Amino acid sequence: MVVGDVTTGTEVLVIGAGPGGYVAAIRAAQNGLDTTLVDRDAYGGVCLNYGCIPSKALISATDVAYDARNATEMGVHADPVIHTDEMQEWKEGVVDQLTGGVEKLCKANGVNLMQGEATFVDDSTARIAHGGEGQGSETIAFEHAIVATGSRPIEVPGFEFEHDPIWSSREALEVEEPPEKLLVVGAGYIGMELSTVFAKLGVDVTVVEMLDGIMPGYEDDVTRPVKQRADELGIDFNFGEAASEWEETEGGVVVTTEDEDGEEYTYDADKVLVAVGRQPVSESLDPEAAGVDVDENGFIRTDDQARTNVDNVYAVGDVAGEPMLAHKASNEGIVAAEVIAGEPAALDQQAIPAAVFTDPEIATVGMTEAEAEEAGFEPKIGQFPFRASGRALSTGESEGFVRIVAEQEAGFVLGAQIVGPEASELIAELGLAIEMGATLEDVASTVHTHPTLAEAVMEAAENANGEAIHTLNR
Amino acid sequence: MTVKEFKLPDVGEGVAEGELVSWQVSPGDTVSEGDIVAEVETDKALVEVPSRYDGTVKELFAEEGDMVPVGDVIISFEVGGTEGGDAEAEAPDTEGEPGAPAEEAETDTEEATSAETPDGRVFAPPAARKLARELDVDIGEVEGSGPGGRISEADVRAHAESAEVHDETADGTAVTPGEGEAPAEPTGADASETVSADAGPRAERDTTLAVPATRALAEELGVDIHAVPTEKTRDGEAFVEEADVRAFAEREEEGATAAGAEAAGADATAEPAREETVPYRGVRRTIGEQMATSKYTAPHVTHHDTAEIDELVETREELKRTAEEKGVRLTYMAFVLKAVVAGLKEYPILNSELDEEEEVIRLKNYYNIGIAVATDAGLMVPVVKNVDEKGLLEIADEVQELATKARERTISPQEMQGGTFSITNFGAFGGEYATPIINYPETAILGLGAIEERPVVEDGEVVAAHTLPLSLAIDHRVIDGAEAAKFTNTVKEYLAEPTKLLL
Repeated sequence: MVVGDVTTGTEVLVIGAGPGGYVAAIRAAQNGLDTTLVDRDAYGGVCLNYGCIPSKALISATDVAYDARNATEMGVHADPVIHTDEMQEWKEGVVDQLTGGVEKLCKANGVNLMQGEATFVDDSTARIAHGGEGQGSETIAFEHAIVATGSRPIEVPGFEFEHDPIWSSREALEVEEPPEKLLVVGAGYIGMELSTVFAKLGVDVTVVEMLDGIMPGYEDDVTRPVKQRADELGIDFNFGEAASEWEETEGGVVVTTEDEDGEEYTYDADKVLVAVGRQPVSESLDPEAAGVDVDENGFIRTDDQARTNVDNVYAVGDVAGEPMLAHKASNEGIVAAEVIAGEPAALDQQAIPAAVFTDPEIATVGMTEAEAEEAGFEPKIGQFPFRASGRALSTGESEGFVRIVAEQEAGFVLGAQIVGPEASELIAELGLAIEMGATLEDVASTVHTHPTLAEAVMEAAENANGEAIHTLNR
Repeated sequence: MTVKEFKLPDVGEGVAEGELVSWQVSPGDTVSEGDIVAEVETDKALVEVPSRYDGTVKELFAEEGDMVPVGDVIISFEVGGTEGGDAEAEAPDTEGEPGAPAEEAETDTEEATSAETPDGRVFAPPAARKLARELDVDIGEVEGSGPGGRISEADVRAHAESAEVHDETADGTAVTPGEGEAPAEPTGADASETVSADAGPRAERDTTLAVPATRALAEELGVDIHAVPTEKTRDGEAFVEEADVRAFAEREEEGATAAGAEAAGADATAEPAREETVPYRGVRRTIGEQMATSKYTAPHVTHHDTAEIDELVETREELKRTAEEKGVRLTYMAFVLKAVVAGLKEYPILNSELDEEEEVIRLKNYYNIGIAVATDAGLMVPVVKNVDEKGLLEIADEVQELATKARERTISPQEMQGGTFSITNFGAFGGEYATPIINYPETAILGLGAIEERPVVEDGEVVAAHTLPLSLAIDHRVIDGAEAAKFTNTVKEYLAEPTKLLL
């Protein structure tokens, strides 16, 4: 112990106040456990402060402008003026409201809040170094710890984020004045979401991607409408190239990329957004001091109760492995808190949905056709294109489709892929179907409101059973 | 290589189950026929269970501390192909089906596959999955009643209940949810019988098949045999076995207690426990049952008297050295045994047993004297057989050996059976008089107080003398007070003048 240290004690120490940590802390407190939540930065974590929420705010704001500009077909003629600084202010307001809400919820539930960076001393104590000069530190003894330290953007060597023209998603989301030319390194979901935002702000966007297409985790037909829209927005794609170096020029940067054969290409830009993925934050916590194993990628391995190799230490969210999704983190946080409270909780979800807020949106849950085959099922597929949906046509957004993957015999729903308007909302019904063990018949026989996009889900289920009304059954 | 399963053998007369105290082998160990694989504590003794095979230990089916019914598979071996083995214990192929006996393995596998899908997915809503966790049910083993075998909460509950019953039949203890017991696996000594998923904790039948002994047991325990749940059938009718009856009776008794314990368990998270529970089974339960049977069956009367034994003290001192030369520690107990036998020969009614059914009192012409021994596990009563035919030294030696075995728990059930009269030496821990409980169905027990110098009146003077307080408890149905007093007088005489024992 350092002189001046104050030792306090808590039953549950939650490290990290993102969607995994704060949810875990609230549930632990609800279960009557003395709970302390510590974060070195802001309540709500990356998700609320620098990720999901601010990016969705900017996506919606830029969509409004884009849609207004592109509604001549509907007879609407407009030329909106965008004040990016005001847009940022509005976004900050949304973020503040949510993070303030998290803080209030924590307090109302009796969670002790603490600001600082936690480091394990051993498996029952941690040191909390408070930020700032002279703030000191304290030692906290805990019975159980929940590690929810999250993740951060991966840096490409040479493109460290401390250099001003090199942005991570965080800097990109805080921009007050959009650059004229933006080079985006990486065509994964973050790269695609932000490329779209900037293209809609009128920025000249170029994307370089090492692989040969956008969002390689998704099926080709699912990403195709997104690529088409991006092309229409004037985004320039360069596949099979990896960014190798950059240098500052007068008023901008020149980025050099290299392809497989070693051929070099150069791109002029004002700013460079590097979005090549995220990596877990675990080393600053010194998990080894508590005896917690960390794998070669920095992830903390956990069992189906979110428990690490050390009995009283749990890990949830991004730091506990893929998929790095906020809702997965929250679910794990709840399970960890309940397990600590002695409840028979477990991570037994059949599927965790994922959504990408590109234009159009992509959302998936459960298995693809190929995955179902690989798992030994004989999959039964049903599909419904949005161009056959009255509601989709009447919004002016009719790209994409709903696809449903089911098991052959009883027709249990195994998975779904949606690309199209409001895909991120529509996927919820299919997630429920999978968790409930619902069959195609169950989904098809549920009356869906007309005219809505949700009808597409029902139609896809009917199509799989060869009973679709509004499409030809295959 | 074939897999041989080995069932808990009948380790002693009338023993229905045993607590698996320790494993002497682990999976992968090589064993030869006759090697000790486990120690099992029955309600009578600690027994070592030998292997019947030469081979390698494949799997252990019980955990240390489990109660295992006789006939349940406890271990499997991998043995060479030509091994003969015991037909009863043979299992053709039970790979990957832990807990399932040979005959049932196949059925179980089928059940499992029908509920499972290629990737092991189970179609059940989250609420049903959560319930399964709460009830400690492996949802993969639940048979779904919904379309395509989808599992509902009701299915999970039904499975949990049938597993519970099953579990109870298997180990004779009730499993209450949340008690932290091992998951209820379908073990089952129930061969090829059909399994009904909804066998509840209490059945309602008009017809029940059972062997007469089972019916008798049910009657004895006050159990309606038609209410005993079972999953076993014979010729399409429900078939109940002794274990089912016992489990049911116990559960009926424990029902209220369990509910209380659960409530207490919930509180326990908030406060440190104010109470602890220790299992009431094995030796402890046997003692308890024995004591209750005896006390509630035989009307006890205790006769108290004191033997003056100065002469015995001297005699023992004289003989002790001689005995020691022969490697024997001559104890007072040997003399007491001899004196008791002399008394019993004069008053055979104290060496008897009441057979109410036959309406006779059986007088024994042999003298097997039980000696109560306090052990860590509880009271045990090893029996010195045919005391009348043995010499002092022989008796002293045997008492010593039996007591040691009892304390070390290496005594065999046979060494604790066949007693005709018992002695309890509570005086070893101090005290003068007590009211011992007869070792039923015997009809008398002699309690010994501590040998000490106490004031006695001799020729009108109070003097110090070595005395041995005697407490003789008798079954007053068979023995009257006068006989008890006379017997005690005889014993006193022999103890007062030990040379008489030579006659």
